[in-house]
Amino acid sequence: METVVEVRDLKRTYTVTKGFWRREKRQVTAVDGLSFTVERGEIFGLLGQNGAGKTTTIKMLITLLAPTGGLCRVLGYDTFGQERAIRGRINFVFGGELGIYRRLSGRDNLKYFGNLYHVPPELRDRRIDELLRLVELEQDGDRLAETYSKGMLQRLQIARGLMNDPEILFLDEPTVGLDPLGARMLRSLIARLREQGKTILLTTHYLPEAEELCGRIAILHKGRLLALGTPQELKEQAGQAATLEDAYVRLVEGAV
Amino acid sequence: MKTLRVLGSTLLLQMKQSFVRPMFRFCLIANPILNTILVYEMFRNSGQTDFAAYAILGAGLMGLWGCICFSSAGDLNRERYSGTLSQIFVAPAGFQTILWGKVLGNTLLSLGTLLFSWLTAKLLYGASFPIRSPGYLLLAFLAAVGCFLSVSVLAAWLLTLSRKTTLYMNVIEIPVILICGFVFPAEQLPRWAQILGMVLSPTWAVKLLRMAVAGVPDRAAFWRAFGTLAALTALYLVLIRLLYGEIQKQVRIRATLEVC
Ligand SMILES: Nc1ncnc2c1ncn2[C@@H]1O[C@H](COP(=O)(O)OP(=O)(O)OP(=O)(O)O)[C@@H](O)[C@H]1O
Ligand SMILES: [Mg+2]
Repeated sequence: METVVEVRDLKRTYTVTKGFWRREKRQVTAVDGLSFTVERGEIFGLLGQNGAGKTTTIKMLITLLAPTGGLCRVLGYDTFGQERAIRGRINFVFGGELGIYRRLSGRDNLKYFGNLYHVPPELRDRRIDELLRLVELEQDGDRLAETYSKGMLQRLQIARGLMNDPEILFLDEPTVGLDPLGARMLRSLIARLREQGKTILLTTHYLPEAEELCGRIAILHKGRLLALGTPQELKEQAGQAATLEDAYVRLVEGAV
Repeated sequence: MKTLRVLGSTLLLQMKQSFVRPMFRFCLIANPILNTILVYEMFRNSGQTDFAAYAILGAGLMGLWGCICFSSAGDLNRERYSGTLSQIFVAPAGFQTILWGKVLGNTLLSLGTLLFSWLTAKLLYGASFPIRSPGYLLLAFLAAVGCFLSVSVLAAWLLTLSRKTTLYMNVIEIPVILICGFVFPAEQLPRWAQILGMVLSPTWAVKLLRMAVAGVPDRAAFWRAFGTLAALTALYLVLIRLLYGEIQKQVRIRATLEVC
Protein backbone atom coordinates (compact mmCIF):
# COMPACT_ATOMS: atom_id res chain seq x y z
CA MET A 1 0.00 0.00 0.00
CA GLU A 2 1.16 3.46 -0.83
CA THR A 3 0.31 6.42 1.34
CA VAL A 4 -0.73 9.33 -0.87
CA VAL A 5 -2.01 11.72 1.78
CA GLU A 6 -0.28 12.14 5.09
CA VAL A 7 -1.45 14.58 7.71
CA ARG A 8 0.18 14.72 11.12
CA ASP A 9 -0.65 17.11 13.95
CA LEU A 10 -1.99 19.54 11.36
CA LYS A 11 -3.08 22.98 12.56
CA ARG A 12 -4.63 25.96 10.90
CA THR A 13 -5.73 29.22 12.45
CA TYR A 14 -7.35 32.19 10.76
CA THR A 15 -6.88 35.75 11.90
CA VAL A 16 -10.12 37.67 11.83
CA THR A 17 -10.48 41.38 12.46
CA LYS A 18 -13.54 42.59 14.25
CA GLY A 19 -15.02 46.00 14.81
CA PHE A 20 -14.94 49.14 12.76
CA TRP A 21 -13.43 51.81 14.97
CA ARG A 22 -11.50 49.69 17.38
CA ARG A 23 -10.05 46.96 15.23
CA GLU A 24 -9.59 43.81 17.18
CA LYS A 25 -7.67 40.80 15.97
CA ARG A 26 -8.80 37.38 16.97
CA GLN A 27 -7.53 33.90 16.17
CA VAL A 28 -9.96 31.25 15.03
CA THR A 29 -8.63 27.70 15.19
CA ALA A 30 -10.18 25.71 12.37
CA VAL A 31 -7.96 22.63 12.44
CA ASP A 32 -6.34 21.68 15.71
CA GLY A 33 -3.83 18.85 15.65
CA LEU A 34 -5.33 16.54 13.06
CA SER A 35 -3.66 13.29 11.95
CA PHE A 36 -4.67 10.69 9.36
CA THR A 37 -3.38 9.02 6.20
CA VAL A 38 -5.03 8.02 2.95
CA GLU A 39 -3.82 5.09 0.84
CA ARG A 40 -3.79 4.99 -2.93
CA GLY A 41 -7.04 3.78 -4.48
CA GLU A 42 -9.09 4.47 -1.38
CA ILE A 43 -12.28 6.51 -1.03
CA PHE A 44 -11.79 8.36 2.21
CA GLY A 45 -14.56 10.33 3.88
CA LEU A 46 -14.27 13.39 6.09
CA LEU A 47 -17.37 13.92 8.23
CA GLY A 48 -18.17 16.47 10.86
CA GLN A 49 -20.49 19.23 11.97
CA ASN A 50 -20.57 22.62 10.23
CA GLY A 51 -17.35 24.39 11.06
CA ALA A 52 -15.55 21.20 12.08
CA GLY A 53 -12.65 22.04 9.75
CA LYS A 54 -13.29 19.75 6.77
CA THR A 55 -13.03 22.38 4.06
CA THR A 56 -10.01 23.96 5.72
CA THR A 57 -8.27 20.58 5.75
CA ILE A 58 -9.03 20.05 2.07
CA LYS A 59 -7.78 23.53 1.21
CA MET A 60 -4.46 22.79 2.83
CA LEU A 61 -4.19 19.49 0.98
CA ILE A 62 -4.88 21.06 -2.42
CA THR A 63 -2.14 23.66 -1.80
CA LEU A 64 -4.55 26.57 -1.54
CA LEU A 65 -3.86 27.37 2.10
CA ALA A 66 -0.71 27.18 4.16
CA PRO A 67 -0.81 25.06 7.32
CA THR A 68 -0.14 26.95 10.54
CA GLY A 69 1.65 23.91 11.92
CA GLY A 70 2.18 20.18 11.54
CA LEU A 71 2.88 17.92 8.60
CA CYS A 72 0.78 18.05 5.43
CA ARG A 73 1.98 15.87 2.57
CA VAL A 74 0.37 14.80 -0.69
CA LEU A 75 2.02 12.22 -2.97
CA GLY A 76 5.05 12.45 -0.75
CA TYR A 77 5.53 16.21 -1.12
CA ASP A 78 4.91 19.03 1.31
CA THR A 79 1.85 20.99 0.25
CA PHE A 80 3.55 24.20 1.34
CA GLY A 81 6.95 24.49 -0.30
CA GLN A 82 6.79 21.62 -2.80
CA GLU A 83 3.37 22.48 -4.24
CA ARG A 84 4.65 22.48 -7.81
CA ALA A 85 5.25 18.74 -7.68
CA ILE A 86 1.67 18.18 -6.55
CA ARG A 87 -0.59 20.56 -8.43
CA GLY A 88 -0.65 18.86 -11.83
CA ARG A 89 -1.38 15.44 -10.33
CA ILE A 90 -4.42 16.28 -8.23
CA ASN A 91 -7.67 18.15 -8.70
CA PHE A 92 -10.59 19.27 -6.61
CA VAL A 93 -14.25 20.14 -6.79
CA PHE A 94 -16.09 22.26 -4.28
CA GLY A 95 -19.80 21.67 -4.08
CA GLY A 96 -22.15 24.45 -5.11
CA GLU A 97 -22.31 26.69 -8.12
CA LEU A 98 -18.98 28.46 -7.80
CA GLY A 99 -15.79 27.80 -9.70
CA ILE A 100 -17.12 28.06 -13.25
CA TYR A 101 -16.81 30.88 -15.76
CA ARG A 102 -20.48 31.66 -16.26
CA ARG A 103 -19.98 33.56 -19.45
CA LEU A 104 -18.28 30.70 -21.21
CA SER A 105 -19.91 27.56 -22.52
CA GLY A 106 -19.40 24.33 -20.63
CA ARG A 107 -17.03 23.16 -23.32
CA ASP A 108 -14.99 26.37 -23.25
CA ASN A 109 -14.67 26.08 -19.48
CA LEU A 110 -13.22 22.61 -19.85
CA LYS A 111 -10.96 23.75 -22.64
CA TYR A 112 -9.59 26.61 -20.60
CA PHE A 113 -8.89 24.48 -17.55
CA GLY A 114 -7.37 21.83 -19.81
CA ASN A 115 -4.93 24.49 -20.97
CA LEU A 116 -4.16 25.58 -17.43
CA TYR A 117 -3.30 21.97 -16.62
CA HIS A 118 -1.12 21.70 -19.75
CA VAL A 119 -3.20 18.97 -21.39
CA PRO A 120 -2.06 18.69 -25.06
CA PRO A 121 -4.81 20.07 -27.37
CA GLU A 122 -5.63 16.80 -29.10
CA LEU A 123 -5.96 14.84 -25.89
CA ARG A 124 -7.77 17.78 -24.34
CA ASP A 125 -10.50 17.87 -26.97
CA ARG A 126 -10.93 14.11 -26.92
CA ARG A 127 -11.17 14.17 -23.14
CA ILE A 128 -13.73 16.97 -23.19
CA ASP A 129 -16.06 14.87 -25.34
CA GLU A 130 -15.61 11.87 -23.07
CA LEU A 131 -16.19 13.87 -19.91
CA LEU A 132 -19.23 15.69 -21.22
CA ARG A 133 -20.70 12.31 -22.01
CA LEU A 134 -19.69 10.96 -18.62
CA VAL A 135 -21.51 13.72 -16.72
CA GLU A 136 -24.39 13.68 -19.20
CA LEU A 137 -23.90 17.16 -20.54
CA GLU A 138 -23.12 16.23 -24.13
CA GLN A 139 -26.30 17.99 -25.32
CA ASP A 140 -25.56 21.17 -23.41
CA GLY A 141 -21.82 21.51 -23.75
CA ASP A 142 -22.03 24.44 -26.13
CA ARG A 143 -24.51 26.46 -24.10
CA LEU A 144 -23.30 29.26 -21.87
CA ALA A 145 -22.77 28.03 -18.32
CA GLU A 146 -24.92 30.87 -16.98
CA THR A 147 -27.93 29.09 -18.46
CA TYR A 148 -27.18 25.86 -16.56
CA SER A 149 -29.16 24.61 -13.60
CA LYS A 150 -27.45 24.03 -10.27
CA GLY A 151 -27.05 20.34 -10.93
CA MET A 152 -25.65 20.93 -14.39
CA LEU A 153 -23.09 23.34 -13.02
CA GLN A 154 -22.08 20.80 -10.45
CA ARG A 155 -21.70 18.08 -13.03
CA LEU A 156 -19.65 20.44 -15.16
CA GLN A 157 -17.42 20.97 -12.15
CA ILE A 158 -16.88 17.25 -11.82
CA ALA A 159 -15.85 17.14 -15.46
CA ARG A 160 -13.51 20.05 -14.82
CA GLY A 161 -11.99 18.20 -11.89
CA LEU A 162 -11.19 15.26 -14.17
CA MET A 163 -9.66 17.27 -17.01
CA ASN A 164 -6.10 16.48 -15.96
CA ASP A 165 -6.86 12.84 -15.16
CA PRO A 166 -5.82 13.40 -11.53
CA GLU A 167 -4.40 10.68 -9.29
CA ILE A 168 -6.22 12.14 -6.30
CA LEU A 169 -9.55 13.92 -6.46
CA PHE A 170 -10.72 16.07 -3.56
CA LEU A 171 -14.48 16.52 -3.39
CA ASP A 172 -16.00 18.91 -0.89
CA GLU A 173 -19.73 18.18 -0.59
CA PRO A 174 -20.04 17.13 -4.22
CA THR A 175 -23.70 16.12 -4.00
CA VAL A 176 -25.02 19.20 -2.19
CA GLY A 177 -28.00 20.57 -4.09
CA LEU A 178 -28.24 17.70 -6.55
CA ASP A 179 -31.58 16.01 -7.18
CA PRO A 180 -31.84 12.32 -6.19
CA LEU A 181 -31.04 11.09 -9.68
CA GLY A 182 -28.16 13.50 -10.06
CA ALA A 183 -26.75 12.49 -6.69
CA ARG A 184 -27.04 8.83 -7.59
CA MET A 185 -25.32 9.44 -10.90
CA LEU A 186 -22.50 11.16 -9.08
CA ARG A 187 -22.17 8.31 -6.60
CA SER A 188 -21.91 5.76 -9.36
CA LEU A 189 -19.38 7.99 -11.07
CA ILE A 190 -17.29 8.11 -7.90
CA ALA A 191 -17.50 4.33 -7.56
CA ARG A 192 -16.35 4.00 -11.16
CA LEU A 193 -13.39 6.30 -10.52
CA ARG A 194 -12.34 4.05 -7.67
CA GLU A 195 -12.36 1.09 -10.03
CA GLN A 196 -9.97 3.05 -12.23
CA GLY A 197 -7.63 3.23 -9.26
CA LYS A 198 -8.16 6.86 -8.38
CA THR A 199 -7.91 8.04 -4.82
CA ILE A 200 -10.81 10.14 -3.62
CA LEU A 201 -11.13 12.22 -0.49
CA LEU A 202 -14.64 13.52 0.02
CA THR A 203 -16.74 15.36 2.54
CA THR A 204 -20.48 15.06 2.86
CA HIS A 205 -23.26 15.69 5.34
CA TYR A 206 -25.31 12.88 3.83
CA LEU A 207 -24.34 9.83 5.85
CA PRO A 208 -25.90 7.04 3.74
CA GLU A 209 -23.75 8.36 0.92
CA ALA A 210 -20.61 8.14 3.04
CA GLU A 211 -21.56 4.65 4.13
CA GLU A 212 -22.14 3.52 0.56
CA LEU A 213 -18.97 4.99 -0.89
CA CYS A 214 -16.22 5.29 1.68
CA GLY A 215 -13.76 2.60 2.61
CA ARG A 216 -12.70 4.56 5.66
CA ILE A 217 -14.10 7.61 7.38
CA ALA A 218 -12.68 10.23 9.71
CA ILE A 219 -15.06 12.16 11.91
CA LEU A 220 -13.79 15.63 12.81
CA HIS A 221 -15.00 17.65 15.73
CA LYS A 222 -13.83 21.20 16.39
CA GLY A 223 -10.77 20.66 14.26
CA ARG A 224 -9.78 17.43 16.01
CA LEU A 225 -10.09 13.79 15.05
CA LEU A 226 -12.99 12.21 16.90
CA ALA A 227 -13.03 8.77 15.31
CA LEU A 228 -11.46 6.97 12.37
CA GLY A 229 -12.26 3.64 10.75
CA THR A 230 -14.40 1.70 8.29
CA PRO A 231 -18.14 2.36 8.52
CA GLN A 232 -18.43 -1.02 10.30
CA GLU A 233 -15.75 -0.13 12.83
CA LEU A 234 -17.38 3.22 13.55
CA LYS A 235 -20.71 1.54 14.19
CA GLU A 236 -19.07 -0.89 16.60
CA GLN A 237 -17.17 1.87 18.31
CA ALA A 238 -20.47 3.67 18.91
CA GLY A 239 -21.87 0.61 20.71
CA GLN A 240 -23.31 -1.45 17.86
CA ALA A 241 -25.18 1.39 16.16
CA ALA A 242 -27.57 0.22 13.45
CA THR A 243 -26.55 2.77 10.83
CA LEU A 244 -23.64 5.08 10.27
CA GLU A 245 -25.96 7.96 11.00
CA ASP A 246 -26.73 6.58 14.46
CA ALA A 247 -23.05 6.00 15.07
CA TYR A 248 -22.24 9.56 13.99
CA VAL A 249 -24.87 11.08 16.24
CA ARG A 250 -23.73 9.09 19.27
CA LEU A 251 -20.06 9.86 18.70
CA VAL A 252 -20.57 13.58 18.10
CA GLU A 253 -23.06 14.00 20.94
CA GLY A 254 -20.72 12.12 23.22
CA ALA A 255 -18.00 14.63 22.42
CA VAL A 256 -20.05 17.74 23.19
CA MET B 1 4.51 26.50 -26.25
CA LYS B 2 2.52 25.42 -23.21
CA THR B 3 3.02 28.82 -21.67
CA LEU B 4 1.99 30.56 -24.88
CA ARG B 5 -1.20 28.53 -24.97
CA VAL B 6 -2.00 29.53 -21.41
CA LEU B 7 -1.21 33.15 -22.19
CA GLY B 8 -3.27 33.14 -25.37
CA SER B 9 -6.32 31.43 -23.96
CA THR B 10 -6.28 33.60 -20.85
CA LEU B 11 -6.02 36.70 -23.00
CA LEU B 12 -9.04 35.68 -25.07
CA LEU B 13 -11.04 34.65 -22.02
CA GLN B 14 -10.29 37.97 -20.39
CA MET B 15 -11.31 40.01 -23.44
CA LYS B 16 -14.52 38.05 -23.76
CA GLN B 17 -15.37 38.42 -20.09
CA SER B 18 -14.57 42.10 -19.99
CA PHE B 19 -16.40 42.97 -23.13
CA VAL B 20 -19.69 41.40 -22.11
CA ARG B 21 -19.74 43.55 -18.99
CA PRO B 22 -21.77 46.74 -19.49
CA MET B 23 -19.60 48.63 -17.00
CA PHE B 24 -16.50 47.78 -18.98
CA ARG B 25 -18.10 48.92 -22.22
CA PHE B 26 -19.01 52.15 -20.50
CA CYS B 27 -15.39 52.68 -19.42
CA LEU B 28 -14.15 51.70 -22.84
CA ILE B 29 -16.50 53.76 -24.99
CA ALA B 30 -18.58 56.33 -23.10
CA ASN B 31 -15.84 57.39 -20.71
CA PRO B 32 -13.33 58.51 -23.36
CA ILE B 33 -16.09 60.29 -25.30
CA LEU B 34 -17.18 62.27 -22.25
CA ASN B 35 -13.61 62.90 -21.15
CA THR B 36 -12.68 64.20 -24.57
CA ILE B 37 -15.55 66.66 -24.54
CA LEU B 38 -14.64 67.80 -21.05
CA VAL B 39 -10.94 68.22 -21.70
CA TYR B 40 -11.49 69.74 -25.15
CA GLU B 41 -13.81 72.41 -23.79
CA MET B 42 -11.37 73.16 -20.98
CA PHE B 43 -8.42 73.60 -23.29
CA ARG B 44 -10.29 75.32 -26.11
CA ASN B 45 -9.33 78.81 -24.96
CA SER B 46 -5.97 77.88 -23.52
CA GLY B 47 -4.16 79.58 -26.36
CA GLN B 48 -2.15 76.44 -26.99
CA THR B 49 -1.92 75.48 -30.63
CA ASP B 50 -1.80 71.77 -29.97
CA PHE B 51 -4.72 71.66 -27.62
CA ALA B 52 -6.73 69.18 -29.69
CA ALA B 53 -3.97 66.63 -29.61
CA TYR B 54 -3.60 67.35 -25.92
CA ALA B 55 -7.28 66.70 -25.33
CA ILE B 56 -7.40 63.54 -27.39
CA LEU B 57 -4.32 62.07 -25.80
CA GLY B 58 -5.23 63.13 -22.29
CA ALA B 59 -8.78 61.86 -22.45
CA GLY B 60 -7.75 58.65 -24.16
CA LEU B 61 -5.05 57.95 -21.60
CA MET B 62 -7.39 58.71 -18.73
CA GLY B 63 -9.84 56.22 -20.15
CA LEU B 64 -7.11 53.66 -20.75
CA TRP B 65 -5.85 53.95 -17.19
CA GLY B 66 -9.38 53.73 -15.81
CA CYS B 67 -10.10 50.60 -17.81
CA ILE B 68 -6.87 48.94 -16.77
CA CYS B 69 -7.29 49.94 -13.16
CA PHE B 70 -10.82 48.78 -12.76
CA SER B 71 -10.47 45.65 -14.75
CA SER B 72 -7.31 44.31 -13.12
CA ALA B 73 -8.66 44.91 -9.66
CA GLY B 74 -12.31 44.33 -10.42
CA ASP B 75 -11.61 41.12 -12.26
CA LEU B 76 -9.61 39.68 -9.41
CA ASN B 77 -12.48 40.47 -7.12
CA ARG B 78 -15.07 39.06 -9.48
CA GLU B 79 -13.06 35.86 -9.74
CA ARG B 80 -12.78 35.79 -5.98
CA TYR B 81 -16.56 35.90 -5.71
CA SER B 82 -17.14 33.39 -8.49
CA GLY B 83 -14.74 30.94 -6.88
CA THR B 84 -12.48 30.72 -9.91
CA LEU B 85 -9.64 32.70 -8.35
CA SER B 86 -8.61 29.84 -6.11
CA GLN B 87 -8.74 27.48 -9.07
CA ILE B 88 -6.51 29.48 -11.33
CA PHE B 89 -4.21 30.17 -8.40
CA VAL B 90 -3.34 26.51 -7.88
CA ALA B 91 -3.35 25.48 -11.55
CA PRO B 92 -0.01 24.15 -12.81
CA ALA B 93 0.09 26.92 -15.42
CA GLY B 94 1.18 29.26 -12.65
CA PHE B 95 -0.58 32.36 -11.45
CA GLN B 96 2.13 34.62 -12.85
CA THR B 97 1.47 33.53 -16.43
CA ILE B 98 -2.27 33.77 -15.93
CA LEU B 99 -2.01 37.29 -14.53
CA TRP B 100 0.06 38.40 -17.52
CA GLY B 101 -2.52 36.91 -19.85
CA LYS B 102 -5.31 38.78 -18.12
CA VAL B 103 -3.47 42.07 -18.08
CA LEU B 104 -2.49 41.70 -21.74
CA GLY B 105 -6.09 41.00 -22.71
CA ASN B 106 -7.41 43.95 -20.78
CA THR B 107 -4.75 46.34 -21.99
CA LEU B 108 -5.21 45.42 -25.63
CA LEU B 109 -8.94 45.90 -25.34
CA SER B 110 -8.56 49.12 -23.36
CA LEU B 111 -6.40 50.70 -26.06
CA GLY B 112 -9.74 51.23 -27.75
CA THR B 113 -10.20 54.30 -25.53
CA LEU B 114 -7.57 56.15 -27.56
CA LEU B 115 -9.51 55.38 -30.71
CA PHE B 116 -12.78 56.57 -29.23
CA SER B 117 -11.39 59.83 -27.94
CA TRP B 118 -9.79 60.52 -31.33
CA LEU B 119 -13.09 59.76 -33.07
CA THR B 120 -14.99 62.04 -30.70
CA ALA B 121 -12.69 64.97 -31.30
CA LYS B 122 -12.79 64.41 -35.03
CA LEU B 123 -16.52 63.96 -35.44
CA LEU B 124 -17.68 66.47 -32.86
CA TYR B 125 -15.17 69.25 -33.32
CA GLY B 126 -13.57 68.41 -36.63
CA ALA B 127 -10.29 68.43 -34.77
CA SER B 128 -7.27 67.06 -36.53
CA PHE B 129 -4.57 65.03 -34.91
CA PRO B 130 -1.46 65.82 -36.88
CA ILE B 131 1.18 63.15 -36.58
CA ARG B 132 4.43 64.88 -37.29
CA SER B 133 6.80 62.04 -36.54
CA PRO B 134 5.10 58.68 -36.91
CA GLY B 135 8.27 56.75 -36.07
CA TYR B 136 8.67 58.42 -32.71
CA LEU B 137 4.96 58.13 -32.00
CA LEU B 138 4.99 54.40 -32.66
CA LEU B 139 7.99 54.00 -30.38
CA ALA B 140 6.39 56.11 -27.67
CA PHE B 141 3.15 54.16 -28.03
CA LEU B 142 4.85 50.78 -27.67
CA ALA B 143 6.83 52.02 -24.69
CA ALA B 144 3.61 53.28 -23.12
CA VAL B 145 1.91 49.93 -23.60
CA GLY B 146 4.87 48.15 -22.02
CA CYS B 147 4.74 50.57 -19.14
CA PHE B 148 1.04 50.08 -18.50
CA LEU B 149 1.46 46.30 -18.67
CA SER B 150 4.16 46.22 -16.02
CA VAL B 151 2.26 48.63 -13.78
CA SER B 152 -0.90 46.54 -14.00
CA VAL B 153 0.84 43.26 -13.26
CA LEU B 154 2.59 44.78 -10.27
CA ALA B 155 -0.67 46.26 -9.02
CA ALA B 156 -2.54 43.01 -9.56
CA TRP B 157 0.01 41.07 -7.54
CA LEU B 158 -0.17 43.52 -4.68
CA LEU B 159 -3.95 43.41 -4.79
CA THR B 160 -4.14 39.64 -4.37
CA LEU B 161 -2.84 40.25 -0.86
CA SER B 162 -6.01 41.94 0.25
CA ARG B 163 -9.70 41.38 -0.02
CA LYS B 164 -10.42 45.10 -0.27
CA THR B 165 -9.23 45.32 -3.86
CA THR B 166 -11.91 47.61 -5.24
CA LEU B 167 -11.35 50.13 -2.48
CA TYR B 168 -7.66 50.44 -3.32
CA MET B 169 -8.38 50.70 -7.00
CA ASN B 170 -10.74 53.61 -6.48
CA VAL B 171 -8.19 55.23 -4.22
CA ILE B 172 -5.39 55.20 -6.79
CA GLU B 173 -7.25 55.93 -10.03
CA ILE B 174 -7.57 59.72 -9.92
CA PRO B 175 -4.31 60.52 -8.05
CA VAL B 176 -2.33 58.68 -10.72
CA ILE B 177 -4.11 60.62 -13.44
CA LEU B 178 -3.14 63.86 -11.69
CA ILE B 179 0.36 63.04 -10.55
CA CYS B 180 1.44 61.43 -13.80
CA GLY B 181 0.23 64.39 -15.82
CA PHE B 182 -2.35 62.62 -17.98
CA VAL B 183 -4.39 65.77 -18.65
CA PHE B 184 -2.28 68.71 -17.57
CA PRO B 185 1.49 69.02 -17.30
CA ALA B 186 2.90 67.58 -14.10
CA GLU B 187 5.12 70.66 -13.81
CA GLN B 188 2.15 72.57 -12.41
CA LEU B 189 1.93 70.32 -9.39
CA PRO B 190 3.54 70.98 -6.01
CA ARG B 191 7.12 69.84 -5.67
CA TRP B 192 6.44 66.68 -3.63
CA ALA B 193 3.86 65.47 -6.12
CA GLN B 194 6.31 65.99 -8.95
CA ILE B 195 8.93 63.91 -7.19
CA LEU B 196 6.37 61.16 -6.59
CA GLY B 197 5.40 61.38 -10.25
CA MET B 198 8.97 60.84 -11.35
CA VAL B 199 9.17 57.34 -9.90
CA LEU B 200 5.83 56.37 -11.44
CA SER B 201 6.53 55.11 -14.92
CA PRO B 202 3.27 56.34 -16.54
CA THR B 203 4.54 59.91 -16.08
CA TRP B 204 7.33 59.20 -18.55
CA ALA B 205 5.08 57.34 -20.93
CA VAL B 206 2.77 60.35 -21.08
CA LYS B 207 5.73 62.67 -21.58
CA LEU B 208 7.01 60.57 -24.48
CA LEU B 209 3.64 60.51 -26.17
CA ARG B 210 3.28 64.28 -25.84
CA MET B 211 6.72 64.87 -27.31
CA ALA B 212 6.06 62.50 -30.19
CA VAL B 213 2.78 64.24 -30.98
CA ALA B 214 4.48 67.62 -30.95
CA GLY B 215 7.01 66.33 -33.45
CA VAL B 216 9.94 65.79 -31.09
CA PRO B 217 11.37 69.31 -30.89
CA ASP B 218 14.21 68.10 -28.69
CA ARG B 219 15.59 64.69 -29.56
CA ALA B 220 17.91 64.44 -26.60
CA ALA B 221 14.99 65.07 -24.25
CA PHE B 222 12.96 62.36 -25.97
CA TRP B 223 15.67 59.79 -25.56
CA ARG B 224 16.29 60.79 -21.98
CA ALA B 225 12.62 60.24 -21.19
CA PHE B 226 12.67 56.99 -23.13
CA GLY B 227 15.68 55.76 -21.17
CA THR B 228 14.06 56.70 -17.87
CA LEU B 229 10.87 54.90 -18.81
CA ALA B 230 12.81 51.79 -19.87
CA ALA B 231 14.76 51.82 -16.62
CA LEU B 232 11.65 52.24 -14.47
CA THR B 233 9.81 49.51 -16.37
CA ALA B 234 12.79 47.20 -15.90
CA LEU B 235 12.76 48.07 -12.22
CA TYR B 236 9.07 47.20 -11.97
CA LEU B 237 9.72 43.89 -13.69
CA VAL B 238 12.50 43.11 -11.24
CA LEU B 239 10.17 44.04 -8.40
CA ILE B 240 7.50 41.68 -9.75
CA ARG B 241 10.11 38.95 -10.01
CA LEU B 242 11.30 39.53 -6.46
CA LEU B 243 7.88 39.90 -4.91
CA TYR B 244 5.74 37.25 -6.50
CA GLY B 245 7.15 34.26 -4.68
CA GLU B 246 6.64 35.94 -1.34
CA ILE B 247 3.19 37.22 -2.28
CA GLN B 248 2.13 33.74 -3.32
CA LYS B 249 3.15 32.49 0.12
CA GLN B 250 1.45 35.33 1.95
CA VAL B 251 -1.77 34.80 0.03
CA ARG B 252 -1.86 31.22 1.26
CA ILE B 253 -1.05 32.20 4.81
CA ARG B 254 -3.60 35.00 4.99
CA ALA B 255 -6.33 33.19 3.02
CA THR B 256 -7.19 36.19 0.85
CA LEU B 257 -8.20 34.27 -2.25
CA GLU B 258 -11.71 33.58 -1.20
CA VAL B 259 -14.65 35.44 0.13
CA CYS B 260 -14.80 33.60 3.41
N1 LIG C 1 -11.28 32.51 5.61
C1 LIG C 1 -11.65 32.32 6.88
N2 LIG C 1 -11.44 33.30 7.80
C2 LIG C 1 -11.78 33.11 9.07
N3 LIG C 1 -12.33 31.99 9.56
C3 LIG C 1 -12.57 30.97 8.72
C4 LIG C 1 -12.24 31.09 7.34
N4 LIG C 1 -12.59 29.92 6.73
C5 LIG C 1 -13.10 29.13 7.69
N5 LIG C 1 -13.09 29.76 8.89
C6 LIG C 1 -13.54 29.18 10.19
O1 LIG C 1 -12.88 27.96 10.38
C7 LIG C 1 -13.74 26.99 10.96
C8 LIG C 1 -13.76 25.73 10.10
O2 LIG C 1 -14.37 26.03 8.86
P1 LIG C 1 -14.49 24.98 7.68
O3 LIG C 1 -15.02 25.71 6.51
O4 LIG C 1 -13.20 24.28 7.52
O5 LIG C 1 -15.56 23.98 8.25
P2 LIG C 1 -16.34 22.78 7.52
O6 LIG C 1 -16.09 21.57 8.33
O7 LIG C 1 -15.99 22.71 6.11
O8 LIG C 1 -17.85 23.22 7.72
P3 LIG C 1 -19.13 23.02 6.74
O9 LIG C 1 -19.66 21.69 7.01
O10 LIG C 1 -20.07 24.09 7.21
O11 LIG C 1 -18.68 23.22 5.36
C9 LIG C 1 -15.08 27.67 11.12
O12 LIG C 1 -15.18 28.11 12.44
C10 LIG C 1 -15.01 28.84 10.18
O13 LIG C 1 -15.77 29.92 10.67
MG1 LIG D 1 -17.08 22.99 4.31
